[in-house]
Amino acid sequence: MPFEIAKAKPAVTPDSNPGDPAYLKIRDLIYRISGIYHAETKLYLLISRCARRMAALRVTSPSEYLEHLTTRGNRDAELRLLLNEITIGETYMFRHPAQLDALRNVILPQILQVKGLISLKRLRFWCAGCSTGEEPHTLAMFLLEEKDKLLAGWTFDILATDLNDNSLEAARAGIYGEYALRSTSDALRRKYFKDVGNNKLQANELLKTPICFDRINLRDDSKMLFQKGIDIIFCCNVLIYFDLASKRRVVQHFYSNLLPGGYLFLGSAESLFQVDDSFRLVHFPGTTAYWKPTAAQAVGGTK
Amino acid sequence: MNAKLQSQLQAQIDKLDSVSTAPAILLPLLDMLRLPSDRISLEKVVELISYDGSLAAQCLRLANSPLFGRRQTETVRSAVMTLGLERVRSLLFGLCMNGVIPQDKWVIAPDAFWRHSLGCALITQRMAQKIEYPEPEKAYLAGLLHDLGFLVNSVLRTEDFRECLRRAAEQHLPLHVIEEQVLGFSHCETGQMLCGHWGLSKELMDAARCHHDVSLLPTAGPLACLVHLSDLLCRVRYLGYGYDEIMGVDLGGDAAWQTLVRAYPALGNMDLVRFTLDIDGAMEQIIATVDSVFGARKITAPATS
Repeated sequence: MPFEIAKAKPAVTPDSNPGDPAYLKIRDLIYRISGIYHAETKLYLLISRCARRMAALRVTSPSEYLEHLTTRGNRDAELRLLLNEITIGETYMFRHPAQLDALRNVILPQILQVKGLISLKRLRFWCAGCSTGEEPHTLAMFLLEEKDKLLAGWTFDILATDLNDNSLEAARAGIYGEYALRSTSDALRRKYFKDVGNNKLQANELLKTPICFDRINLRDDSKMLFQKGIDIIFCCNVLIYFDLASKRRVVQHFYSNLLPGGYLFLGSAESLFQVDDSFRLVHFPGTTAYWKPTAAQAVGGTK
Repeated sequence: MNAKLQSQLQAQIDKLDSVSTAPAILLPLLDMLRLPSDRISLEKVVELISYDGSLAAQCLRLANSPLFGRRQTETVRSAVMTLGLERVRSLLFGLCMNGVIPQDKWVIAPDAFWRHSLGCALITQRMAQKIEYPEPEKAYLAGLLHDLGFLVNSVLRTEDFRECLRRAAEQHLPLHVIEEQVLGFSHCETGQMLCGHWGLSKELMDAARCHHDVSLLPTAGPLACLVHLSDLLCRVRYLGYGYDEIMGVDLGGDAAWQTLVRAYPALGNMDLVRFTLDIDGAMEQIIATVDSVFGARKITAPATS
């Protein structure tokens, strides 16, 4: 499917009027604060997320809810709760096939070519904000499947970090249900998971070996400075919770963590516009990524 | 392309109207496409459509499709009002061109071609509005017409062009690159010739000619640059030529972008991620529109009577 075309539109509360200009204001607020943008056709998603928060607060009109987000004393907490609603259910394995296609077709061949000139044939990936581990496990499966093809003669490791200890514990355990595995083929399930009962599968040693889990606070400058020599960073729907100044600092860290020629992937509706201009935005079929070109690449334009 | 080949192609293009049945409404329609949408007269559009039974039937079918939530549209006039003038004129153009190309000569699937052309028209127009280019309607037209050369190549070099498409799809490469290898010219040149043959403006001819390489123009015009960027955006949002291309596009580093941003600084203030998400929404509409026209029957040649 080219892009996520809405199938069943989630029900919204009877008195929520999708045309209410307050929703557009909430949309703009979310965009300004978090960088997440809801296009006109995705507005219904935002409305249904607001509806849940409005129900919890017993607020009936979107304009009243807008007040909760802007002028009430607890606005920061409420904004965070809404962002949680917006990003909930985001993660399952192979959620973003377009990112993997871009890796396979363009990014990895490009990086291999640049690094192939140097003797050490090793790639480093970092999932920053890996939550319960769906993303690093997907990446590990993808890379293991390419081991004898694209990546023949190369080694790789994946650093998967999060701030939340509970999430990290779940990620380390690597036990997943049907929802997380909905887009994982039977062949991959058989190869990389073992059945642990209760309709759950657990990542096997083969899948766990390339991944190193660690607790890292992206706001911790001293720790961020130590992450070096990374080729590709995934940081999806994490920076949205940060204020502009911390977002800038984290993105600048990412820039120096990456080797020249490296890429940073953000969530599909996240934008670094006016946050950072050291990265170059690159469009791939169905996805975008931020690129740190080598000195030689920086001179060229469209590849 | 050498001079001999060029004059040979030009002669073939000049005969194109006579070898296939050019719908009578093509030239008045092209005149209409030059106008801003608020200056198009409803009566004129209804009159044009009514010339051609097949076009009228197509408009009614679309207006009655679930996409527009209507079931009881029975006159061309109410169909046009349901669809909106903007959509109608794009559709007319598409349907009309289908009549210019004989059914067995289509190489790129017609629905893929119209998705790409309409998508590019819309993105070019929106980008033109964003940068405050004074004639967004002209930008729309430039986007709509930029790939007409594909139709010329389909008619004049059917089998060779089929081979181009096969190779491009197999190697996931841009079609114009393979055209150069196989035909010795690309749709850019034949598109420019057809635009010239129809008496379209030099800017539109340039946009067709240079949309894959703006450096061909001594001073790249804004239309050619806009179309170039829109064409790339279409292709990275799955509205290409009906096959998967392998590509990574650094739009900000593109020569056309840099040329445009010098003349239109507003471009530098555009959040491209946000723009891309916005056009995705518009694309869904285009896909639905094109599918409702081409979905049932892939090609519909207008009646000649």
